[in-house]
Amino acid sequence: MQADQIFQFKNVSLNVGELSILNELNFSVNKGEFLAVLGASGAGKSSLLRMFNALSSPSSGQIHFRNKPIDIDIQCLRKNVGILFQNPAVFSGSIKENLMIAGRWNHNIAQILDHELISALEQVGLKDIKLKQNAKDLSGGEQQRLALACALLNKPQVLLLDEPTSNLDPKLSRSIMNLVNKLRKNLDLTIIAVSHDHVLMRKYANRVILLSQGQLVGDGTFKALDAKQAFKKAGLLEHEDHDAT
Amino acid sequence: MRPEFYILSWNDLLVSLVFIAFSVFLIKKWKLGLEQTLLIGTLRTFVQLTAMGYVLTWFFDQQHWAFMLSLLFIMIVIASYEGTRRQKKDIPHFFSAMFVSLLGAAILILGTILLFILDVKPWYSPYAAIPIGGMIIGNGLNSTSLTANRFLGELKHREKEIETLLALGASPKQAVYDAMKESIHAALIPNINAMMTVGLVQLPGVMTGQILAGIDPIIAVRYQIMIMYMWFTTATMANMIMLAIVYRQFFTDKLQLKRELLRDKA
Repeated sequence: MQADQIFQFKNVSLNVGELSILNELNFSVNKGEFLAVLGASGAGKSSLLRMFNALSSPSSGQIHFRNKPIDIDIQCLRKNVGILFQNPAVFSGSIKENLMIAGRWNHNIAQILDHELISALEQVGLKDIKLKQNAKDLSGGEQQRLALACALLNKPQVLLLDEPTSNLDPKLSRSIMNLVNKLRKNLDLTIIAVSHDHVLMRKYANRVILLSQGQLVGDGTFKALDAKQAFKKAGLLEHEDHDAT
Repeated sequence: MRPEFYILSWNDLLVSLVFIAFSVFLIKKWKLGLEQTLLIGTLRTFVQLTAMGYVLTWFFDQQHWAFMLSLLFIMIVIASYEGTRRQKKDIPHFFSAMFVSLLGAAILILGTILLFILDVKPWYSPYAAIPIGGMIIGNGLNSTSLTANRFLGELKHREKEIETLLALGASPKQAVYDAMKESIHAALIPNINAMMTVGLVQLPGVMTGQILAGIDPIIAVRYQIMIMYMWFTTATMANMIMLAIVYRQFFTDKLQLKRELLRDKA
């Protein structure tokens, strides 16, 4: 077992009733990687992503986080492994109330001062936003950034992204992904992003896990998987046209 | 001047059927099609309450603590079954949650009233324990049923919020705190409204019944005040105990939301 491995998946399967969602997955994630989990709709990407912070558990197999079983201290794990959902939840109340929501149980967040919150917002590109502003009034892209700021206040080591750009236009998508990439470098984060858009991901991710019908059908760099025509086999070729963009 | 005691004879009761006749007339005129249901309801009200009168007469003759405790236990079991039956969607272990919450409320509130407020001797006197116990259990049943339904609705509505909070490191209780707060709030509003308007807009049933039965209105009012306080405390306590048990049913031991419980069956 290598020292820089942050996650290890061993024979991980997920069944819902008699339906097999994920089948015998074996892989590891290294610290500092930008890992893209790609696959067509229904490939099991989001189900896999939820396992990284134990929002779901495998039906069989083992997952280790920092060389220990993932479910040893789940609340601690979740503080270390933040997630940005496809449609992030925005809570009633002000931006400040949203940012401080984890302060209900996290003493460190409860003590954060206003100027630190403003810095947290600036870090995710929300510069002209007031803390007293109603969070529900933010645009879709701004809500995404606010949710990102909330997750980052926990000072996670890993950030999970669930189709982070699926509801955004191409310009906003690139802007969010540029931001995530910048945060990865500045905060030494490991990024695991689920997407069906391999064109966008190949600009940022340095490794890909390719899923097809719950099976791991590719693991490596884009270049290596291109050589094996793995994207074509996984049914992702409809995006090839955009490669030149 | 001593209040009069108005005795209602069977003949007097027969005259009250004029209300039903009038309702049937109105229903027919508006072609609501409810005549048969109303007539069945009229008959059932008469039969059920008359039978209950005779049963209560027998109950009131029993003077034994074991009898009283058994009776209250049976009332709680029936209320818990009824509460479970009323749920639109299955909640795991809901019968147990209802039973524990109603039992807890009954022990604490009925016990306090019998032993310390009314100072009933013996404490198991059926004249006090049966009607007050019945009110506590009935009120607890209605309130917890409303709260459980609302809680389930809140969980469905807030699924994304709850998972976000879990993902930020919240415990299941912290993640559903707002849903629990909203559910209890909604269930207690009718009780609070009743406390605000009692005596101004309406005269409550217990007080009206006591006055008609010849009790001094000042004493009837005191009873009513005690009952209002009792109702509110029953609702608050039973709801909190019930939700403390129920919310856990929606999470795995790995602090995961059981999303399948929130889905409508196909």
